[in-house]
Amino acid sequence: MKQEALKFFTDTHLTSIGLLIFFLFFVGVMLWIYRSSSTEIYRRMEQMPLKDGE
Amino acid sequence: MNTGTGSHIEKIFYDDDIVKKFVMATMIWGAAAFVFGLIIATQLAYWPLNTNWEWVSFGRLRPLHTNAAIFAFAGNAIFAGIYHSTQRLLKARMFSDALSKIHFWGWQLIIVSAAITLPLGYTQSKEYAELEWPIDIAITLIWVVFAINFFGTIKRRREKHMYVAIWFYIATIITVAVLHIVNSIEIPVGMLQSYPVYSGIQDALVQWWYGHNAVAFFLTTPFLGLMYYYVPKAANRPVYSYRLSIVHFWALVFIYIWAGPHHLLYTSLPEWAQTLGMIFSLMLWAPSWGGMINGLLTLKGSWHLLRTEPLIKFFVAALTFYGMSTFEGPLLSIKSVSALGHYTDWIIGHVHSGALGWNGMLTFGMIYFLVPRLWKTELYSKKLLENHFWISLTGVLLYYISLVVAGITQGMMWRAVDKDGALVYPDFIETVVRIVPLYWVRALGGLLFIIGFVMMCYNIYKTIKAAPKNQEPESVQVSRSGYDEKNEQPHRKLEGMGLTFSVLAFLAIAVGSVIEIYPTLSLHKYVNPANIVEPHTPLEIAGRDVYIKEGCYTCHSQQIRPIASEVLRYGPASTIEESMYDRPFQWGSKRTGPDLSRVGKKYPNLWHLNHMIDPRAVTPKSIMPNYPWLAEKNTDYLSLRKKLSVLKMLGVPYEDDVVANADIHAQKQAMEIAADLESNGAPKGLEKKEIVALIAYLQSLGQKGKK
Repeated sequence: MKQEALKFFTDTHLTSIGLLIFFLFFVGVMLWIYRSSSTEIYRRMEQMPLKDGE
Repeated sequence: MNTGTGSHIEKIFYDDDIVKKFVMATMIWGAAAFVFGLIIATQLAYWPLNTNWEWVSFGRLRPLHTNAAIFAFAGNAIFAGIYHSTQRLLKARMFSDALSKIHFWGWQLIIVSAAITLPLGYTQSKEYAELEWPIDIAITLIWVVFAINFFGTIKRRREKHMYVAIWFYIATIITVAVLHIVNSIEIPVGMLQSYPVYSGIQDALVQWWYGHNAVAFFLTTPFLGLMYYYVPKAANRPVYSYRLSIVHFWALVFIYIWAGPHHLLYTSLPEWAQTLGMIFSLMLWAPSWGGMINGLLTLKGSWHLLRTEPLIKFFVAALTFYGMSTFEGPLLSIKSVSALGHYTDWIIGHVHSGALGWNGMLTFGMIYFLVPRLWKTELYSKKLLENHFWISLTGVLLYYISLVVAGITQGMMWRAVDKDGALVYPDFIETVVRIVPLYWVRALGGLLFIIGFVMMCYNIYKTIKAAPKNQEPESVQVSRSGYDEKNEQPHRKLEGMGLTFSVLAFLAIAVGSVIEIYPTLSLHKYVNPANIVEPHTPLEIAGRDVYIKEGCYTCHSQQIRPIASEVLRYGPASTIEESMYDRPFQWGSKRTGPDLSRVGKKYPNLWHLNHMIDPRAVTPKSIMPNYPWLAEKNTDYLSLRKKLSVLKMLGVPYEDDVVANADIHAQKQAMEIAADLESNGAPKGLEKKEIVALIAYLQSLGQKGKK
């Protein structure tokens, strides 16, 4: 199936680049949200629905 | 923008009137969507319910049911929730009361026009995008009004930080706009008819890129936003993990947009696009389950609330169905599972576990939460709410289980071959008769769901009736917050900037869309010049429009998959070239009846005439509706010149003479067919009737490549 799937791709390195972009983006998001300085802001953010005066 | 923050306290009024309006509209249109669903479900179990009345036949009502459920019921529900929660999360009244009202009334007008035009047969036949071009334009305008109102509110917000629910709303507004506009690029051929600019595999890919993302960005992301607001509200504790909600958001937005081609597995869509669709669908398992777990764990430590606040049961059920349907979706996207499940009722079961279980239950929970607060009173009866919950749940489960069993049963029967390699059930009707009892169970499930809904309507009616009259709007005290942080953190920079954030979300969905759709726009690369087909004759085009108008595609596919049992049953697998001029494509998504892509010349003309007037005359036990009006209504020959000129402009190779004299060519062919019918005993004068055009079209299917 892989051969068939890639039949129309002459640039197979495109798939590798695609994989790399997605993987790096995902790693980036994980690093971003787990930065130690983010703990406090998230603690405040998660309270927002509960502190709208109602 | 005023950047100061601080202790300055302002008194403002939220616009709750608009929320009340959307809540009421949700309930009214919900009733319509559910009742039409029950009617068409019963039509499948008991065909005489189709009557001989064209406006209530299955093919006309099925699009009405799906549009009412998605855009009227779910649509009004998300608007109610978004207008309510956005004002509170941003500490600001909606940007403009006038825009809110235009949005509300405009949307209701669109729904009413859908309810009128769909039963009359005005349809583009693209699922969930059936509405014709003037309504498409109206949807675009009203969506822009909504967007201005929403982003205007963001601009005027007093809370700098945007809670994750707001992110989900932003992604919804941007993506639905892109999906609707791209999928609706069409050329009008009449006041209420149009042909899409895309043809064949392009049209199929664009349509299912739209279709799947209607599920993703109309029935998932906005409801997730509501979930991230109302579940913490109802449980009175913050979401289990805010970090996980951010991963949930970005992963969904990045991945969902690619998943559309899983609706087209084993079709003539290029293999690479099918594989992309399948792989991205599988990836969706992770973020979807992350989100479900995040929602359910929010209730950790609050489970006792299920006794005192029974509306939380609806949220728990909704999240559980979200988990179930997002488990089943990727499963069905695996090619070998799709080979069994596609075109069967399994898909319908899957859709309803999402629509009734996830969207329905979450909406009901939200309405039970909102109404007492909006009308400043107590819910009339918690006992009735409990009963609603258990009856609905039983209904959804009966519905789901019966259709999954029906789908797998029929799928297995279609593919069964004996020791000599012949089909065990060569007559399609055998496989239909076997599952009709399950259609009754499904209708019962739907009925229970409606009974529960009626209980809710009564409960809500009594609640509002008992509410204090002549309520003055109450002000709330708010102060600006989040604007005074001296050392701006990177988080604040990104997550506090509405515009930048919106652009990033747009880029996330644009990447997948462009990479997937762009290559198919150069269709010629995939077309084999040796297999090019002849375009349809003018009469066949007229017949094709009848086929579309009657919604034949809701029960018949025109796409033979390269699967042994399928080739045995229907003939060689469909090719790209066979649908290369099809605007819109008619591949279908469900086989309540057999595939029709090679039905041409299989039966004599008279067989088709008898079959359309009374299907049981030629196929005993058939569940297809009668179409007696086709032998009474005249074919619209006059519009054919216009239709063919539009098709020629879009690239269909018609001779100038054929376009200029389309009606004359059509009438000539109609005379030949009518003469054949007459010589076999049919009444005189059928050449003017729609039935002859339809027969011409059906007889041409699969015949265009044979030269």
